[in-house]
This record gives sequence, structure tokens and C-alpha cells, in this order.
Amino acid sequence: MGMDQAWLIPAIPAAAFAILLIFGPYLPRKGDWLAIAAIGASFVLVFPMLADLLDQADGTTYVAGEKAWEWLSFELAGVGETFEIEIGFYVDPITIVMLAVVTLVALMVQVYSIAYMKGDLRYGWYFTAMSLFAASMLTLVLANNLLLLYAGWEAVGFCSFLLIGFWWEKRSAAEAAKKAFITTRIGDVGLLIGIIMLWHEGPNTFNIQEIIHFAEEGGYGNTYLTAAVLFLFMGALGKSGQFPLHVWLPDAMEGPTPVSALIHAATMVVAGVYLVARMLPLFEVADPIALDIVLIVGLTTVMISATMGLAATDIKRVIAYSTLNSLGLMFVALGSSAVAAAMLYLFVHGFFKALLFLGAGSVIHATEEQDMDRLGGLAAKMPITAATFAIGTLAMIGIVPLSGFWAKDEVLVFAEEEQNIIVYLVLLSSLVITGLYMMRLFVRTFLFAPRVQETYAHAHEGGLLITVPLLVLGLLATVGGFVVFDEVGEALGFPGGFAQFVFLHGAHEFKFHLDTAITSTALAGGGAVAGWVLWQDKAALAAHIRDAFAPVSALLANRYYIDEIYQFAIDRIVLVLGGIIAWVDRVVVNDTGVNGSANLGYFAGFEIKFLQTGRIPNYALAIVAGILVLSIVMLVTQV
Amino acid sequence: MIPIDNFLVLSAILFSLGMYGVLARRNAVLILMSVELMLQAVVINFVAFAVYLNPETFTGIIFAIFVIVIAAAEVGLALAIILRLFRNRQISNVDEADLMKW
Repeated sequence: MGMDQAWLIPAIPAAAFAILLIFGPYLPRKGDWLAIAAIGASFVLVFPMLADLLDQADGTTYVAGEKAWEWLSFELAGVGETFEIEIGFYVDPITIVMLAVVTLVALMVQVYSIAYMKGDLRYGWYFTAMSLFAASMLTLVLANNLLLLYAGWEAVGFCSFLLIGFWWEKRSAAEAAKKAFITTRIGDVGLLIGIIMLWHEGPNTFNIQEIIHFAEEGGYGNTYLTAAVLFLFMGALGKSGQFPLHVWLPDAMEGPTPVSALIHAATMVVAGVYLVARMLPLFEVADPIALDIVLIVGLTTVMISATMGLAATDIKRVIAYSTLNSLGLMFVALGSSAVAAAMLYLFVHGFFKALLFLGAGSVIHATEEQDMDRLGGLAAKMPITAATFAIGTLAMIGIVPLSGFWAKDEVLVFAEEEQNIIVYLVLLSSLVITGLYMMRLFVRTFLFAPRVQETYAHAHEGGLLITVPLLVLGLLATVGGFVVFDEVGEALGFPGGFAQFVFLHGAHEFKFHLDTAITSTALAGGGAVAGWVLWQDKAALAAHIRDAFAPVSALLANRYYIDEIYQFAIDRIVLVLGGIIAWVDRVVVNDTGVNGSANLGYFAGFEIKFLQTGRIPNYALAIVAGILVLSIVMLVTQV
Repeated sequence: MIPIDNFLVLSAILFSLGMYGVLARRNAVLILMSVELMLQAVVINFVAFAVYLNPETFTGIIFAIFVIVIAAAEVGLALAIILRLFRNRQISNVDEADLMKW
């Protein structure tokens, strides 16, 4: 069992999906155990892959495992070239990290879902869709060529659509599913254009490594490559909910909470980060403007999402904004060429963000309420949820020694070293806001007096199926960051530590700047303390500030009116333009072109048929006249 | 030897008479007879040219025999149609047999 068998990892959930789709309704318990067993098997299989990768490594230089099968092959007519599409899997350290996060979080989420989704009308379908999602996501991660990656990319988008709209009887859920699908589609078109551009001028292959190799040898023109990577980035932009395509992610919270934990926190939304990390050599070869755009987009997302998080009252939406915030940070890291920092953040973010979502799910499950203005004081009733949620909150804020701290600190160090001071200062200020809104979320939900007694009264801690995943993820969110230490990394089997393991270009070390760490911790901790003070008890102080800055709070509560601007643009531009095109289609193409020519034929036939009198003398006369005319023509032309 | 022009003039007169009959007559039997007249004009042409242009071979004459045979077959067919028309509808005037139209 080694890297050549990597195809098994997505194949097992795919097989589970196929079985559940056909036989699901007839299986005991609607087949939830099959979905969980499949993802569990995939999780276990990650370890032989890792062991094989380490076995074949030469010191700290890793030999990536790659295995491909031909899927389609045909001669391009006239060109004399063979066009080939492969199904292939590629295992390298980045893949291993992604695989570990995806399979582990998916396993935890599916176990949790047994309790959370219990008694749901479409319980079996939920696990079927989850299996399809796992298979698609793992295909995306393992793909060795851009086309297979794109197929996985679209499939996870489709699963996201299915699961956001899982309760489609609710109009808002159906609308959110549609919005998520269409918004990410806009980015996906860019991704496809980028892939085609890379193939068109490239080495007649979709293989990622060959394309990177080709680009590094200067095979593409600089401007062309820059355009191509920016199109690729457009796909990442949509999938990872970066500004200006971030609008779908908060609405995606209409789906079941475990779905949010898996798809919209730990796995699918980081596909964009993964794509950029995977293709980063191309971004580095291209014009520096490409990485600058990645950086600016990440930074913008960090700021707008953090500030929007201050105003939201739905607990899931606040966590969704914190996800955007984290994704923005990852893109800032990528924009500074810090793959290891981005992947580390991705790694720990998967744990603490899934933890936060599952904690929120536990609250929603217990109270059937997700507006934090109607919650409060739940820590007394739900100690495990509260404790693990606190870990998640502090990890997100970035308090020593929780996992979020190490990852965030690494991003900050890179921003400080590689970028100008403004980027660094903006990131530091975002830490304060992160502290504020995360602490607000925790304080308003779990501490002080409950605001609605009725809801509070019947709140209770969930069973083991809910608390065990919370505890596992809580543990990982606590210790996950320690992989930055070389000793811990080596003990876990990564020679030279995690950074060395993940980083693509030779030796790399995690840098730890004490002054940066102190500054960031002071700011984040300060934000958290301020959040506590502002929103404690009856949140009188926060209300006072909100009233004092009414226009600003209205702006934040309305999400910078970005959704309204998009709605306006759709109503006034897209729909009007669509109306014009529809009119042209209806009147010019259909009525004139298609029906018009048919009517002309019908009308002409109706008029001409009266020439047929049915009387023989008429026909005889016509024949004679015809011959006479022909004879005259012949005479005239021959003379 | 009689000049070929005489035959051609005779053939043209016969053909024109036949054509006039086809166009002017209304009785189906008379139209049929006029068609026969036109065919005979063609036969005269065939034979005349055969003798004048290529007396060694019989190609033209054989063609004339073909035309006569086919004309006989055609008359058989046409008379049968006329007979059925008369039996079914008691008409022999072609103006009245005008149902084969739109």
C-alpha cells in the first residue's frame, strides 16, 4: 500500500455514494454507517501514503508519487498532435496535509451529523450527498492534472449547492443555494479560461507539474502567463469567498450546521487556497502584479469580513465572517509567497473552524435558536460545548499557545518581512477586530444572564455523538499549532519539521519573531478583552457605542450594501440586457427568422397551388408553350 | 430520289395538326388520336433521316418500330383509363375530369 494506491482515497467515498444512491433507502439506518465507514477508511489510508512519501524521501527532498491512467486520446486533425486527457493522482506534502484535514474533519462532522440530523426527512440523502462531497473534494486534492482538478472543483460546488439547499422547502435556503452556486460559477468560468490558456500555449498537456516546469523555463510569455494565473485566481476567488465574490458564504449558512463546518469552513472554501498554493510557482514566474493582486484581495477580505462580523447577530453568520477573515489571511500569506504559512493556517483553521461550527450546531440543536440576541448564559447548561467553543474562539483570535496563534503569527512575520508597513499595520488592526467580534460571539452566547428564559430552560448538552467530535476537534485546535516546532514535526514523522515538509522550494524554517508575537498577542488579546467589556452582561456599553456611530453600524449591519449593489446591478443591468437579448431572440430570430421563413413557404405554397387546375388542356398548353419558349431561346442563343 | 425537305414538311404538318388536336379538342378519344398523329410525324422523321443520312444501318428504322410499339402500348393504357372514366362518371370530356388538383 503506497502512493500508487492513492486513487483509493477518493474511490471509497465515491463507491459509498453510488451504493447509497441506489440502495440507500433499503439499508438499515438509511446507510449512514456506510458513509462514515467509507470516510473513515479514507482517513486511515492517508497514513500509508504519508509513510510511503517519507520512505521514498531523500533527506528532506520529497519524491512526489504520481500515477496516471489514460482516459481519452485522439489525433488532432491537421495538427498531427495527440490530445490526451488523463486521470491521475499526485501525492506530495501539500496533498498529504489537505488529505489529512479533509478526511479527519469529514469523519468528525459525519459522526456528529448522526445526532444532528437525526429524524430529518432526508436523513439518508444527507449522507449520500456528504459521501459525494468527500469523493469530489479528495479528487480535487489528489488530481495531477488541471482538468481532473476542475472536475472535482465543479463537483464540490454542486455538492455545496445540494447541501446549502438541503432544506429547500425553506425559500431562503433555496435562494442561498442558488446564490452560492451562481456566484462561485462566475469564478469557475475564470478558472476554466485560465486552464485553457495554460494548455493552449503550453506543452500540450494538462499535467500540473509539467505546466509548472514549462513556465519556469520561460515557455509562456510574461503577459500571457500573468493573465492566465489571474484567471486561475478568479476561480479561487469565487470558491474561497474572497472579495468581491464573498457574498455567497454568509448566506450559505442556511444549510445544516455540520455542512457549514465541513464545506464552508474546513474543506471546500480552502480549495481556492489549495489551488493557488499548488500553482504558486506560476504566480512567482508571472509578473509581480499577480501576487500583489492576491495580497490585496486577501487584505480587503480580511478587513471587510472582520468589520461585518461585528454587526451580525446570527451566530453562524459571525463564524462565516470569521471564515472569510481566515481565508483572507491565507491569501495574504500566499501573496507573500509563504506557502508553508498558508498551508499551516489552512491545517489548523480546518480544526478550529469546524470546532466553532460544530459548537454553534450544538447550541442550535439544543435551543433551536441561532440569534445571539436571544441566547446567553448557556455555559451553565452546556459546559462541554462552551469549553470547546472557548478554545475555538481563542484559537481564532490567536492566543498563545492555541493553534491559531502559530499560524497567524507566521503570516504576520511574512507580511512584516516581505510586504510594506501598510500591509502589516492593516493586518494588526484586523486582529483587534477579530478579538472583538469573536469575544462578542462567545460572551453573548454562553455567558451572563439568558435573554430568553424559555429557550434557556430546555437547553441541554447533546449526547456523545455531539460531544466527542467537539472534544477531538478541541484537542486538535489546541495542539495543532505545535507542528511548527521542528522537534514536534520530526516526532510526528516530518523530517526537518512541518515547514520543511510543506515548503516546495527546498529548505525553509518557521520564523518566530518575539516582538511580532508580543505585538500581535497584545492587540488580539486587547481586542478580546475589549469585546468582553463591551458586550458583558446587558451589552449596554456596546449599545451606547452603536448608537453613537449609527451610520457606521448601519453600514456594517447591511454588509456595506454590497449585496444591494449586486442586486441593483442584476436588476438594472443584467436583467435589462437579458430583456433586450430575449426581445431580439423572440422578435428577430424566432418570429422573423424561423417562423417567418416557414410562413413565407406556407403562404407561397397556398398561392401557387391554384396554378394546378387539374384540366389536361391547361397542362398540354403549358407543355407546348414551354417547348416554344425553349426553342426560341435556343434559336436566339445559337445564332 | 425525293428530297428530304418534302418528308420534313409532311412531318411538320402532321405534327402541327396533332398538336392542334391535343390543344383544341375536348373529347378524350380525339385527344388520344391527335397524340397518335404527333407520334407518326416523329416516325416519319426517323425513317427519312435514317434513309438519307445513314442508309447502310437500320438504327433509325428500328427506332421507328420501337416508337410504334410503345405507341400501341400507350394507346392500350390510355383507352383503359378513358373507359374507366366513362364507366364511373359517364363523361368523355377532359374538361370535366379535373379532380386531380389541390
